[in-house]
Amino acid sequence: MCFIFSFFLNSKDIFIINLVSRIYTHSFFIFLSSFFIYIWLAISDNFSVLYIAQHSNINLPVFYKISSIWSAHEGSMFLWIIFLTSWGAVYNLLTSNDQPLKAKTLGVISITSVGFLLFLLLTSNPFETILPVPPENGADINPVLQDPLLAIHPPMLYMGYVGFVIAFGQAIAFLFEGNTNIRWEKQVRSWSVVSWSFLTLGIALGSWWAYYELGWGGYWFWDPVENVALMPWLAATAFIHSLSASSKSSILRIWTLLLSILVFSLSLFGAFIVRSGIIDSVHSFANDPERGLYLLAFIGLLVMISLLLFSFRFNLLLSNKKIISLSKESFISINNILFGTLIFSTMLGVMYPLIYEFLYDQKISVGAPFYNAIFVPITLLACIFLYFSIDTKWQQSFNLKSLYRPSFLSITVSGIIVFLAFYKLSITNFWTLSSLLIGLIIIIRYLIVIYFYFAHKKFANLYSVIAHCGLGLLIISIALNNNLSSERALNIKINETEIYKDHQVSFTNLKMVPGPNFDSVQAEFLIVNPNGKTYTLTPEKRKYFARGQVTTETAIRAFFLKDIYMTIGDQLDDGSWIVNIQFNMFIRWIWFSAIIMVAAGFLLAHSLSRSRS
Amino acid sequence: MLIKVFLFFSIIFSSFTLGKSLYDFESVEDEKRFYSLIKEIRCPKCTSGSLASSNAPVSEDIKLKIIDLIKEGKSDQEIKEFLSDRFGNQILYNPGLSKDTYLLWLAPGFFLMIILLIFFFRKRT
Amino acid sequence: MTIFIRFIIVSIALMFFGFFYFYINEDKYYPGADFTTSDMPNFEIKDLYSERIFNVKDLEGSYLINVWASWCITCRIEHSFLSKLESKNIPIIGLNYKDEEEDAISWITRFGDPYKYIIHDYKGNLALDLGVTGAPETFLLNDGKIIVHYRGEVNDMIWNDVFKPIIKRENLFNVN
Repeated sequence: MCFIFSFFLNSKDIFIINLVSRIYTHSFFIFLSSFFIYIWLAISDNFSVLYIAQHSNINLPVFYKISSIWSAHEGSMFLWIIFLTSWGAVYNLLTSNDQPLKAKTLGVISITSVGFLLFLLLTSNPFETILPVPPENGADINPVLQDPLLAIHPPMLYMGYVGFVIAFGQAIAFLFEGNTNIRWEKQVRSWSVVSWSFLTLGIALGSWWAYYELGWGGYWFWDPVENVALMPWLAATAFIHSLSASSKSSILRIWTLLLSILVFSLSLFGAFIVRSGIIDSVHSFANDPERGLYLLAFIGLLVMISLLLFSFRFNLLLSNKKIISLSKESFISINNILFGTLIFSTMLGVMYPLIYEFLYDQKISVGAPFYNAIFVPITLLACIFLYFSIDTKWQQSFNLKSLYRPSFLSITVSGIIVFLAFYKLSITNFWTLSSLLIGLIIIIRYLIVIYFYFAHKKFANLYSVIAHCGLGLLIISIALNNNLSSERALNIKINETEIYKDHQVSFTNLKMVPGPNFDSVQAEFLIVNPNGKTYTLTPEKRKYFARGQVTTETAIRAFFLKDIYMTIGDQLDDGSWIVNIQFNMFIRWIWFSAIIMVAAGFLLAHSLSRSRS
Repeated sequence: MLIKVFLFFSIIFSSFTLGKSLYDFESVEDEKRFYSLIKEIRCPKCTSGSLASSNAPVSEDIKLKIIDLIKEGKSDQEIKEFLSDRFGNQILYNPGLSKDTYLLWLAPGFFLMIILLIFFFRKRT
Repeated sequence: MTIFIRFIIVSIALMFFGFFYFYINEDKYYPGADFTTSDMPNFEIKDLYSERIFNVKDLEGSYLINVWASWCITCRIEHSFLSKLESKNIPIIGLNYKDEEEDAISWITRFGDPYKYIIHDYKGNLALDLGVTGAPETFLLNDGKIIVHYRGEVNDMIWNDVFKPIIKRENLFNVN
């Protein structure tokens, strides 16, 4: 109804806007209460609901009963739509009714929600029942899913994905209205930055979970499902930067518009890929071609219509303003292009095996070597442009001379540190050294900016500074982690000691321990570092009763500079165990960088929304 | 301090023996090559994932075979060919540069160039 | 110019979604079936029951190689179908995969022997050379070349849909 009213009636009429707003609020509350009912059903162990019977269990703690709701397709889709409509509801609440685009934006959000709700009801109904005789108890959920971090990862991710519906809705509304004077970019900024922060947080949580749970010590795999989450993130990052340009002047408006459509489309595409069964992955939900086709049709329709609208109306935004070379906008444009290339490459890597198999009936894999080869050079290039952009101003060319002194300082200090890394740590890999150098240059340059801010009151957007420092740190951490980490598989019996990297690793104990719904074998290790300090690590293997599943629990001891990471493998015939030990260098720094960026994002969004009102 | 002394003596005088590495390498380079190789080889039995991330029995077998091949002096390329001959091309996460994959490797560069050209030479109305 | 851009945007989007439509609708058929042709690798492995050593020259004509093990539960289910094939005079060579000799022999004694003979690949070397990832798997060979490699349990349906067409095409096994 919201959609029909806002698009087919005069949405500038205040009466219509009020009406749409009211209808939306009422429908939303009804929908939201259905979700609360669902939560109650899950907590009260109502196994007449098929989905709850399949994914929950009487013995689960309450927290996991609730999180089991989004552990599989139907429930997580339900959550997705709840978040979608919630974002709309908050937008409705916080946007005053005299915003000209408000009604149509709500209309777009509504029609999107309706499409997904139809999908939910027709193909993936979470409320489907087992009657007349409900089972006594549910199935145990996958033990690997019983983890607090993993429980929060999807909600954070979804908050990020669907938050961009607001920007999308505004963009569509804007295109439809055709009035170039409406500054929709300004209105959308804080919504988008918050969504970006959630998306970054969601991805970081997933990555951190994979690190400590899956047992192989990696944190990013270039799995198709990960890639499909990365693409919206790349688009979102480009989008918020483009937005900052467009909200200040009428520069880059076409880019911003296109990006806002792209971010949401890529989010939808991600939902499609994961739920259609096209990609085989540990992440993907159940394979079902019918669902895949519905999603494809609906998402295809949404995206095609928005792209058509864009292609017919973008000439409204063509302006005479040239982008002045060496202005801030010019650097943002260049990086938009670089990010676009990254998105294109990721999409290519995901699609290539599918297309190849379709055409030649043969399988091919595209993995880390391809993505690393593309991402590393382009990201470093983008960072170099970022560095140059630090001194730039809006709509003015910047004075290259002003670059010399701070550059000299940052490059010298970074150069010294890099040389030390080369000399003392024997790092010889070109890309590692380059990443180290560029990351350091960025951080030091920004530290200089901070100094000038406090000492000389020179203007700087501190949130942006912090976020970019986080980026610099991220690049340094990833490079060092990649280059300096090491692992070894030990073949060790009880009471034996092995030396690894000047540390003594002694197998001190082996216990069989019963747990609430599993049996576990716990192996205790005593590690003595070169300074004589001792640490105990207890990796485990667990066998869960319900499904007979065997999982390995990693033992991690975190330090400032590294993690000591251990897992146990199988026992051999001679009584010895296979034990894997890893030293993951600088891994905590990676999570720390992500948190810095997320926090900076939230703080920026907050300050933006305050300055708006 | 006391603990250090205790540990020191207990190690010297106890029946502690030195364990061995399961994967026996002749040099540190070999060990590094191994760990970097297994990240690039796909686990043939898993839905997705490299040998490094899998403890399926066939993954373990392939890892031990890779160690043997390293000891025999085979190069990384030879090892990859050995595996793709037996398990198909899809076992390699690096699809390599062949007539089938030129498009994959070159497309990003072309894309970037085309966009840059459009960007720098577009007409303003 | 703008018309050109419109055309590009719309056609790329259409191709993109169109591709997925056709991809989803494509009959995925049997993901375990691999029809690439390759040479049977060389090997020297002992027979399960005796000290006789087999190598690739001992294999002639057309036959199946079935990878099995006593620890493989699905193999028990597949066994009755293999017996059916044997009764139709289709030669099957068993490849006992990473199994203890005693366990394999008692499994065969218990369930029956549908194999012409059984190679005891204790270490799994031949299996590795064949690209085996587990049990059960079945190969169809003709004239020293592998023409079908199926991963998974072979039953009536798989036999008819995956193996039969190739057998007919190559005119193997006379009877079938």
